[in-house]
Amino acid sequence: MTAVEPRADSDAVPDRDLALTVNGRRRRVRVEDRQLLVDVLRDNLGMTGTHIGCAGGDCGACTVRMDGQITKSCLVLAASAEGADITTIEGYSPRGTLDHVQQAFWDLDAFQCGFCLPGHLFAVRDLLDRDPDPGEDDIREALRGNLCRCTGYVNLVAAAGEAARREREDQER
Amino acid sequence: MTTTPTPPHSLRTAPEPDTVPDPPPGAPALHETDGHQPLRRDGDLLLTGRAQFVDDIAPRGLLHAAILRSPHPHAVIRGVDASRARAREEVEVVLTGADAVDLATPLPHFFEPSIVGCRTTEFRCLAVDRVRWVGEPVAAVVASSLAEAEAALADIVVDYEPLPAVLDADEALRDDAPVLFEEWGDNRLGLFPFAEGDAAGKIAAAPHVVRDELRVGRQHVAPMETRGYVAQWEPGGRLTLWASTQNPHPLRTNLATTLGVPEDRVRVVATRMGGGFGHKFNGYGEEPLVCLLSRLADAPVKWIETRKDCLLVGAREFTHRFEVGFDDDGVVLGLADRIVGNIGCLAPWGGWSMTFPAGMTFPGPYRIADYAIESVPVVTNKAPWNGFRGYGKEQAAMALERIMDLIAEHRGIDPAEVRRRNFIPPEAFPFWTAAKHLDSGEYAAALDKALALAGYDALRARQEAARAQGRHLGVGIGFELTPEGGDFAGSFVRGFDTSTVRVHPSGAVSVLTGVTSPGTGNETSIAHLVAREFGIAVEAVGVTQGDTDACPYGFGNFTSRSLATGGAAAVLAARELRERMADAASALLDADAAAFDFRDGAVVSRTDPETSLTFAELAETIYRRGLAAPGLDQPLLEVTRIDLPHNFHHVPDEQGRFSAYPSFPYSAHVALVEVDAETGVVELLEYSAIDDCGVVVSPTFVAGQLYGAIAQGIGGALWEEVPYGEDGAPEAETFKHYLTPRAPDLPTIRLQHQHTPSPFTLLGTKGAGESGVGGAMAALLNAVNDGLRPLGVHAHRVPLTPPVVLDAIVSGGAS
Repeated sequence: MTAVEPRADSDAVPDRDLALTVNGRRRRVRVEDRQLLVDVLRDNLGMTGTHIGCAGGDCGACTVRMDGQITKSCLVLAASAEGADITTIEGYSPRGTLDHVQQAFWDLDAFQCGFCLPGHLFAVRDLLDRDPDPGEDDIREALRGNLCRCTGYVNLVAAAGEAARREREDQER
Repeated sequence: MTTTPTPPHSLRTAPEPDTVPDPPPGAPALHETDGHQPLRRDGDLLLTGRAQFVDDIAPRGLLHAAILRSPHPHAVIRGVDASRARAREEVEVVLTGADAVDLATPLPHFFEPSIVGCRTTEFRCLAVDRVRWVGEPVAAVVASSLAEAEAALADIVVDYEPLPAVLDADEALRDDAPVLFEEWGDNRLGLFPFAEGDAAGKIAAAPHVVRDELRVGRQHVAPMETRGYVAQWEPGGRLTLWASTQNPHPLRTNLATTLGVPEDRVRVVATRMGGGFGHKFNGYGEEPLVCLLSRLADAPVKWIETRKDCLLVGAREFTHRFEVGFDDDGVVLGLADRIVGNIGCLAPWGGWSMTFPAGMTFPGPYRIADYAIESVPVVTNKAPWNGFRGYGKEQAAMALERIMDLIAEHRGIDPAEVRRRNFIPPEAFPFWTAAKHLDSGEYAAALDKALALAGYDALRARQEAARAQGRHLGVGIGFELTPEGGDFAGSFVRGFDTSTVRVHPSGAVSVLTGVTSPGTGNETSIAHLVAREFGIAVEAVGVTQGDTDACPYGFGNFTSRSLATGGAAAVLAARELRERMADAASALLDADAAAFDFRDGAVVSRTDPETSLTFAELAETIYRRGLAAPGLDQPLLEVTRIDLPHNFHHVPDEQGRFSAYPSFPYSAHVALVEVDAETGVVELLEYSAIDDCGVVVSPTFVAGQLYGAIAQGIGGALWEEVPYGEDGAPEAETFKHYLTPRAPDLPTIRLQHQHTPSPFTLLGTKGAGESGVGGAMAALLNAVNDGLRPLGVHAHRVPLTPPVVLDAIVSGGAS
């Protein structure tokens, strides 16, 4: 952790330099101590694919992968992320490509407005990395932390299963 | 004041079109064409985080706004002292209600209540001398960051004198209730009566009568993206507002009025929408407010609604007191329902008018000659409503379907059979009720398909076996009629819309349309329809929506009308262009214009397939040689059309019947639940549904919207509610309290389709998008009550949360 250097002006908002790796690139930003990681990703680093649906950890639209763990970035103070390796939806798959989860989501119409989509993609990716052949209940449970208001989750669940199937098929080749 | 029980005057003065459009020659019927449906447009952008929503708009020099809201449900504002806030270094602007009076006129209503014979009043973008709900905007701050703006709110001192408040609609109707708008004398906004025959007489003479009450709690839309606006003025006085709104053109018109700016100098850009469902109908004070703040700050200003503020906006708080008379066979002889809607405080946003379809939708899919429905919107000191998918139609579904089950229970007849005995038969269409001209329907067939899909007989057998073990399984049927595409002359809620189709020299095609998409896919479907007309690849058709500088005037997104209006208009424009292009091809190729097919990217002679031009060659030739070559005398490859009128009946007939809605999709639902009688917890085990919205352009998108609507209905039936505390403040401020369904809460919804075309629309389509909410709410309500049946109690309070269900069990069903 970087030490906070108190400034002469007592009204000044404490801030600090923060070093992060975002989507494989080393980034250095000046952040206020009170800033949430999601705000730094969106406002300071321009990663606006990370969405704010509730700012309280309920909806999952702000999900990123942080040091290998899927994380709701509205629940993380940016100052606590010093040195973290973060993947946002923009870096979820190599630029210009879609992974099996993304492609299955598109093929099976698993999203409508798409606002909650980053969180659902990360949650399914995380599940499939742990379990290549999840059942419906496993998928639904993996999506528990992510709200969607458009789809009723029907096609989301189906797309997660289809992505798993396509990945297993790839493995067998 | 007494309101008059007559149809709204504007409905009587509007024109009376009732034409059945002829299918144009040579147009392929939808079901005859490709089974291929294009994937959702811009899916790759959304999947990779590169799609832009309103909060992603950040012009250089952007400042941020925060809004101070009333902590009181009812109070006089004696004064506002903003001096300390203004003195803060980071603060650029502080605006109070008194300051704003000279800067903006009162706000135009999304739906002016007086159009339908209701009382009305004026509202401003910030409260001036009185607040009437917790959360009402009182002052606004602009600062360099949102955190600084929010911090400065604490430095604004408002001197309130609290007044008595009323939160309950029944209490608000009492003589001694606090009155919200003194000039009205009481709290009743109006009265919508819908009646035919002699309901009271028929009920009095009926061999069997059931009377009961059904209460529905205050619910909320909860789109994943909240509202937001970014305003920017150019030095020359032009205003751009980026807005997460469902109605960009009407919003522009209203901004021009409110701000005193010529309408052509206002540009509204409806950004990609993260869900609307009615929450983003225009009329909010924040719309002109953010523009004012930007003008005062001389910089772009952004305001994004917090989730807590979003949850202020209400819907669906209704009480039904119904009475039904029926014969030994369960056939309804007379029906009455007095519906009271607690609309919160009136506001310029549109939601209060959900009380109209709540009554109008009766008697739903049933042939009931004698009925008397009254729907009464009542103002209270809760926050106002805005639209919520279902728009009141779900109320009729819940009450009617509950009534069908109560009749079944009373007579010992299967609930499905009671419905069959009361449905309007297929041969009776088109069918008139007091305020609907129903287009077409095969209701019994849809119900029977739903029962088959659900395995109804097997469910009943499972239920019997479970009951023998003391478990409370419940099977519920819900049938929903969903009036769609409403047209209310005098408002901007219109039943038509406008599209422009433009063919470029390269053969690329642009569609510019007045309908917008809340994320449901109509842009993909409109491109699909236009590509079919030209026989070109769907990828060659671009669709622009929501930008008032680019698109023809239109009304946006509501009441499941996008394809029937904007889509049909685009098809008509494309057909006109096709004729022009065929004429040109005829001149160039010396062939009969009527004998050209547009297919596979080419314009091909039907008699000689060798005689052809590519679509692009033809387009370019018309641009390059038009007016210069013989026969190429119409080089304008751009056409703007509105859709044809269909099944509107604004002028009442000799019996006083009128129909403001042209299209009547319906759906049948079957739910299986288990009720835990010890905890009151309801688990939804299985769900099946059949929908019928006529001809379908994009089956995947129709299904997707139904899944979403059904999930919203399930949430509304079982979990979703915004309770109010005695202090007059809403208690659900986050998704920890407002419980929308999560993936593990729901089973996979089984869905199949039936297609009964509308005889009145260009494409045979009926509205799609809203259907499913009411059927789901009704099916769950009936399923839970069916589960409770061995206990001899009813639960008539929605949502059916564990405390509600337990209370029903303990108190014996007393409401």
